[in-house]
Amino acid sequence: MAAIDEHAGTVRIVPLTHEHDDYLHDESRSRGEAESISFPTTEDEVRSILRSLHAAATPITVQGARTGLAAGAVPHGGHVLNLSRMNRVLGMRRDDAGAFFVRVQPGVILSELRKNLHARSFGTEGWDDVSLQALHALADAPEQIFPTDPTEASACLGGMAACNASGARSYTHGAMRQHVSALRLVLASGDVLALHRGGERAHGRHLSLTTEGGQTLEIELPTYVMPACKNASGYFVEDGMDAIDLVIGSDGTLGVISELELALVPAPAVTWDVSCFFTAEHDALDATEAMRSELGCAAAIEYFDGAALDILRRQRTESTAFSSLAEPPADVACCVYVELQCASEDEALAELTRLGALVERAGGSAEHTWVARTELDREALTFFRHAVPESVNMLIDERRRTDPAITKLGSDMAVPNERLHEVMDLYRTTIAKAGLEAAAWGHIGNNHLHVNILPRSAAEYAAGKELFARWAHAVTAMGGAVSAEHGVGKLKRDFLEIMYGRQALAEMARVKLAFDPCGQLGRGNLFGEELLDALRQAEASALDDNAEKGGA
Amino acid sequence: MHIVVCVKAVPASTEVKMDPVTNTIVRDGGDAVVNPFDATALELALRLREKRRAAGEDTRISVLSMGIPATERLLRDCIARGATDALLLSDRAFAGADTLATTHALTCGIRELGMPDLVLCGKMAVDGDTAQIGPELAGALDMACVTDVRALVACEHDAVTVYAGGDAGVSLIEATLPCVLTVAKEAATLRMPSIAGVLAAEHAAVDVRGAAEVGADAARIGLSGSPTQVVRSFVPEQQAAGVEVSGDTTAQAKQLVRIIEEVA
Repeated sequence: MAAIDEHAGTVRIVPLTHEHDDYLHDESRSRGEAESISFPTTEDEVRSILRSLHAAATPITVQGARTGLAAGAVPHGGHVLNLSRMNRVLGMRRDDAGAFFVRVQPGVILSELRKNLHARSFGTEGWDDVSLQALHALADAPEQIFPTDPTEASACLGGMAACNASGARSYTHGAMRQHVSALRLVLASGDVLALHRGGERAHGRHLSLTTEGGQTLEIELPTYVMPACKNASGYFVEDGMDAIDLVIGSDGTLGVISELELALVPAPAVTWDVSCFFTAEHDALDATEAMRSELGCAAAIEYFDGAALDILRRQRTESTAFSSLAEPPADVACCVYVELQCASEDEALAELTRLGALVERAGGSAEHTWVARTELDREALTFFRHAVPESVNMLIDERRRTDPAITKLGSDMAVPNERLHEVMDLYRTTIAKAGLEAAAWGHIGNNHLHVNILPRSAAEYAAGKELFARWAHAVTAMGGAVSAEHGVGKLKRDFLEIMYGRQALAEMARVKLAFDPCGQLGRGNLFGEELLDALRQAEASALDDNAEKGGA
Repeated sequence: MHIVVCVKAVPASTEVKMDPVTNTIVRDGGDAVVNPFDATALELALRLREKRRAAGEDTRISVLSMGIPATERLLRDCIARGATDALLLSDRAFAGADTLATTHALTCGIRELGMPDLVLCGKMAVDGDTAQIGPELAGALDMACVTDVRALVACEHDAVTVYAGGDAGVSLIEATLPCVLTVAKEAATLRMPSIAGVLAAEHAAVDVRGAAEVGADAARIGLSGSPTQVVRSFVPEQQAAGVEVSGDTTAQAKQLVRIIEEVA
């Protein structure tokens, strides 16, 4: 590798040694390999690194906080470009309508941004006058928040944009893409694309973009139609689309996001979290459907099945770290959690009254509920919600000790609203038939559950994987998405083919090659390297043929 | 059985604002919460009532507080979580009270509610940290007192059995009713209210009484009725700043070793 140990601008590309072992994996628990690594701190350094790796067409995997669950940041050879040190908030502005926007580097951690916003305090070194004026205005304005809320608050904002992350509040606030107003994308060549929402739009399915270096990219967008549900599967495409949406959710395959501008929203005046317990799952599903149609202030509707509650009950008694968990009532089978964001306490009370009535109508009880109105109670419920995936990860890690072939198997599929009962029935019948242990939780408001198979052996792990493939087919037939928030990464690319077909994958790969002609970035994400290399060869052959014809 | 749980509104933040003239804590009700120790006391009362209900016995749980009018919101929240009724002692004449003056006011409130079998208080308040109210109440009401209760074991017939902390460790103690218990925070976590509880509490009456209405002796309440005065108060200055350790792993390890050696 030519670039190893050479300076790329002011930042070193260094050989990847045992000291960098952490950078070979992410939260998906899968592991890759790489030869070199760098930790740029500025966009100029990123450009310099990319330029130095471009000549040899070195594969590059972009990393942030490595909290992803689809192995998008797990390297497949070549270079690891880790952006965790690009962690500065660069500035702020306020538009004519009074909305605030904050400009960040991709390595800024979500929890840090939240802290800054809550304290209305930022490190302002290097900020321009416009930013300082906006910060001054922020001090007197109603509290502002960035609403995207993945479970993992240690995720970085660049990674969240790369996989179009969402979280519980996506029920009302949508996914990451709705809150990204501009971004800068460094291409594999080192050139830069600056994209602003509303600034660069496709004509039908053709996109023409000009880089800051003056290069024009002519992009034929894929022809597939995206599902009408929560979706983070493959490139976002639609007629007349905004170019920025192509980059958001592209899993690090098109370029390196070096800067994001995020739109903030005012914090709700009143936030109450309510957990509603049910003795039967179909009652919970009925209640969910009623919540969707009857509640006006629900920001999140989440679900925990009986197995998830049982795991929490065990953790309470077996682990001191979880001993303060609120104890679910003994005789309940599942829980629907609702976050109410209201303009006033009166509005929240009216909404709570509606919620109590619909819970009773669905077969639950207004007595079998927890209402968190204080900060302390809300923290307790957040702990409760986040303890579920954490406990499952601990369980899987424990089983891996006896059988290293076992790893986490969590689904991320979503279906349209009218398919909720059908998809739950699919999960329940197929899991029971396969004799597998499983726990389900997640964003039921968006019909988007994380069904986790808990394999006890390598054979069960294989059976679980086979089950996921069957679900991918069935969910696709229901008009759903194989990945709704984690992104496709490397782990779900087979499902992407099931969802859109081989032709669509080839169309996506051509989009990638328009941005990244040597196929360097995010190799193995979205589509297999064989497909990408075959397309590159075909394009090279076509060019040769044309040259020969031209020569003749 | 009648249980009175004494609750105090304390600042939600750890940053307490002090009145520079009176040297007392400024209580504007802005971000007030129920003192966490008192919240635990309420949970123990609720659990005791559940046990007694299973045995077919009635239990009334009254929550009592002395505070500004905004404290009514916190008492209503206690009702939402299961308390039967609430009494708020609110009067400018109560302002600036030390623990003895507070005890006199609370004693009047308890008599107003009807003499209980059990008085539960938090072991201490997170703002004042005195841990004096419970024992002083026991003295004023001529009841036995057990402090630092870690667990309530049984409450049958005319006695209550608890595990309580002390200088020698944790002891199993039986006290004759009526008595006062002060409760450690780790004894329990206060349950959340249900939807039914919140909605019912909205319509519940929180009794608000002034000093004269509960027969308080004007000479024994408020700042003027307090034999102790805070002469001076100050916020301790932060003595040490954080140290950022940077560089590669080896450099960071060396810096850490140096810091540890300096401290040692």
